[in-house]
Amino acid sequence: MGSSRSSLRRVPDGQQLLQETGCEPERWFCLGLRSEDLEAELSENPIGDRIVGAFFQPGQETVDFPSFVRVLAHFRPTEKNRTRDGVQPEPANSRNRKLKFAFQLYDQDRDGKISRTELLQVLREMLGLQVTEEQLQSIAERAIQEADLDRDDAICFDKFRKSLEKVDIDHKMSVRFLE
Amino acid sequence: MFSRMAPRGRSGLGRSLAELGLLLLAILVLLDGTVLSLEAATSSEIDTHEGKPGTHKNTSKKSFPVLGIKYDDVSVPFEISLWVLLASLMKLGFHLIPRLSNVVPESCLLISVGLLVGGILKLARDEVPPVLSDRIFFLCLLPPIILDAGYFLPIRPFVENIGTILMFAVVGTLWNAFFVGGLIYAVCQIAQDKYSEIDLSNIGILPCLLFGSIISAVDPVAVLAVFEEIHINELLHILVFGESLLNDAVTVVLYHLFEEFMESGSVSAVDAILGLVSFLIVALGGVLVGAFYGILAAFTSRFTSHTRVIEPLFVFLYSYMAYLSAEVFHLSGIMSLIACGAVMRPYVEANISHKSHTTIKYFLKMWSSVSETLIFIFLGVATVEGEHHWNWVFLTSTVVLCLVARVIGVVGLTYIINKFRIVKLTTKDQFIIAYGGLRGAIAFSLGFILHSEHKKIFLTAIITVIFFTVFVQGMTIKPLVELLAVKKKHEAKRSINEEIHTRFLDHLLTGIEDICGHYGHHHWKNKLNRFNKKYVKKILIAGDRSKEPQLIAFYHKLEMKNAIQMVESGGGSKLNSTFPSTVSMQNIQPKIHSPPSARPSERALPQLTKGREEEIRQILRTNLQKTRQRLQSYNRHTLVVDPDEEGFDDLILKKRRMMELDWKVCKTSSHKSSNAIYSQAYVKPGAENVPTIKIDLASPQSPDSVRLLDEVVQDQGLTMSLPSSSSRAYKTSGKDDGRDQQKLLRCLSDPGPDVDDDEDYDDDEPVPT
Repeated sequence: MGSSRSSLRRVPDGQQLLQETGCEPERWFCLGLRSEDLEAELSENPIGDRIVGAFFQPGQETVDFPSFVRVLAHFRPTEKNRTRDGVQPEPANSRNRKLKFAFQLYDQDRDGKISRTELLQVLREMLGLQVTEEQLQSIAERAIQEADLDRDDAICFDKFRKSLEKVDIDHKMSVRFLE
Repeated sequence: MFSRMAPRGRSGLGRSLAELGLLLLAILVLLDGTVLSLEAATSSEIDTHEGKPGTHKNTSKKSFPVLGIKYDDVSVPFEISLWVLLASLMKLGFHLIPRLSNVVPESCLLISVGLLVGGILKLARDEVPPVLSDRIFFLCLLPPIILDAGYFLPIRPFVENIGTILMFAVVGTLWNAFFVGGLIYAVCQIAQDKYSEIDLSNIGILPCLLFGSIISAVDPVAVLAVFEEIHINELLHILVFGESLLNDAVTVVLYHLFEEFMESGSVSAVDAILGLVSFLIVALGGVLVGAFYGILAAFTSRFTSHTRVIEPLFVFLYSYMAYLSAEVFHLSGIMSLIACGAVMRPYVEANISHKSHTTIKYFLKMWSSVSETLIFIFLGVATVEGEHHWNWVFLTSTVVLCLVARVIGVVGLTYIINKFRIVKLTTKDQFIIAYGGLRGAIAFSLGFILHSEHKKIFLTAIITVIFFTVFVQGMTIKPLVELLAVKKKHEAKRSINEEIHTRFLDHLLTGIEDICGHYGHHHWKNKLNRFNKKYVKKILIAGDRSKEPQLIAFYHKLEMKNAIQMVESGGGSKLNSTFPSTVSMQNIQPKIHSPPSARPSERALPQLTKGREEEIRQILRTNLQKTRQRLQSYNRHTLVVDPDEEGFDDLILKKRRMMELDWKVCKTSSHKSSNAIYSQAYVKPGAENVPTIKIDLASPQSPDSVRLLDEVVQDQGLTMSLPSSSSRAYKTSGKDDGRDQQKLLRCLSDPGPDVDDDEDYDDDEPVPT
């Protein structure tokens, strides 16, 4: 850790970022951000806009490095055997935080629930022109019915998490590069 | 035994049932054994008699034979059928005794039965027919099991763990082979057993290595048989099972390599390199051959829309051809079969009808089940048959070495693998992987076709290892899994939510990977999917369905399943009781003249009058209640669906649907024609121009609609109209005209304790029964 100390000083809030995200931020300076390719790829991605939007804090027009790191920290592979004392906040790459991040991508208005319209929007983005509006409606209908316990026509975070309990989130939402 | 029945009362009944079952079992075994030996006896008698009648014919006129025995002509099919019958009856018998099948895995029981039958045959005739010949095994018994495994292989976990699986399969098997082979050679040289008649030091290094390569391969049949019953979590299952499938290539290469070396007598470095090249050819070649046949099958299935009946045949034939073609070129037949099944499945399933899909599923399960049973029984029989050379040193050291090699191999490999895995393998996982390395009939058959002079002792050792792994490890793995609290398989059904969210996450991760500039797992998967969608699907899938996104296909599948279940559990309950009185083709009158009565039987007609609607409403309400009641008292043998806690969501969903239907029917019934009821049955309350999902039962996934009304009006036989407003989703195509309702229900339901259904492209595997 000795040599990295000097580099940490270069990064604003470097020490704090390290605490928060558990990774050495100056390594991430060398992420290959090739902007032209990136634009092409992301525009093909159905939820590309949402992803890009997730990096920006609400109201901000630019992304600074710490926020960038904070978002990407969610995708670090989980370390299973870490011992945590109760004082430390939950690490950014824990399963819960990963799921919360994903949930927030659905829930654009940040009200803690995925409403029917939000779900419809996501479905529309993902399925696009290949399906009719009616089919989208039916799928959204069924999804809400399945997940909606308290009859408020929306999916809460708990149900979201429960419906993904079979999926190995630790594996799925991790990018190996970010270790 | 029977005298004790009376005083015990109820518990006595249960126990006597078990005892009865045991008695039945014993009788069956004896019967079959004696019949077989009798037949053999009669066949030999007939042979001897054949000579004599010829001489008599010339002398006296034979009276017309009223009754005679002509066994020879039918002997082969007869005996085969008898064996298969025995196997199936055994299977039946075991499941009648639940206590036994809970403790002992089926494979053990079957081997024991085989031993018993073999013993009986040997006593009766003093010579047992060599039933487990390698040709029968490799050409008839093994392919169904492998095809079943390959067709229903859960692709997503398999591909995600492919690196790990390959490491275990290739490196692990090589390590096992050389370790066991080498050390056995050392043991042979060192051990001087004065009491044995075999001189162990005669066995050269090459035969030892050959022996090592035969015994080192984990066997898919045994693994399937044992792991199926312990319901372990998906990761471990796919690791051990995938390893057992892929190590076939290694085994084939090593086997032929060492055999060649033994013939030629000398080994050089060039040969070793050629061996490596040969391995690549065998493995990749097998996969390519399989993929080729898979694509052919998918392409053929594109055109079968007019000949639905033979669709399953194409699947089976192409797969078998893939296997045989690979065997012709000494490529790995198993890998070819797996590749064929895995490649063809997504496309074939998009093309074939729902019934063909069910047919394929059930035929594969049936064949693989029978095959597996036969293999184990024959293993038992062959054990009794062969000459055995008992050499305790050799046998015990083989068993010990196999275990040690496996443990060291797994631990060492996991250490290396964990450096590359995101989700590491824990010690518990390693233990299960090591413990699950069962040997089985493939090793036996390979040993059987050896041409070595030490064949007998090798065979004995192989059988010992097989018995040890299957009996000891097979029986103890279940309690160990419980003891170690290994994660079990999660039985929940896939929900639409899961599907949507999983796809969402896929896109999300692809985006993130793009941002990082890191071409990971998701990036390539995305590229593959796009390629698939753009080119491959257009060629291999018929018509519109090629453009259907997977989410929609999945959704339709779910809807259809739901509809079928709803009808069966809700609608069927009422009709079944009155069914005999309602529908028979002759009794259907197009118009009801009698006033609507309370009996549901009268209602079985398409035209609705006002009074009828009241009854409809009544029935829907009662059925709704009945649904809830019935589903709460669930029992795997009486009903099809299992609403456990996870299924509660499903239950709520169904209930809401029924209520919507009820509401809708009430609303639209009075002035519209019966047309309206059907076409609008699935409408969201209160909306105009509403989306209707019309599902065609002719395809498992298609959104094509069915001319429902035509069918009902023209077809006098299709009578269930009520819960038929809910069953509109699943009317079959015209072929079912004239079938009565019960048959309709029966043929569309999946009978039996089918715990889970197979899924499409990406996902969970079915639990075979």
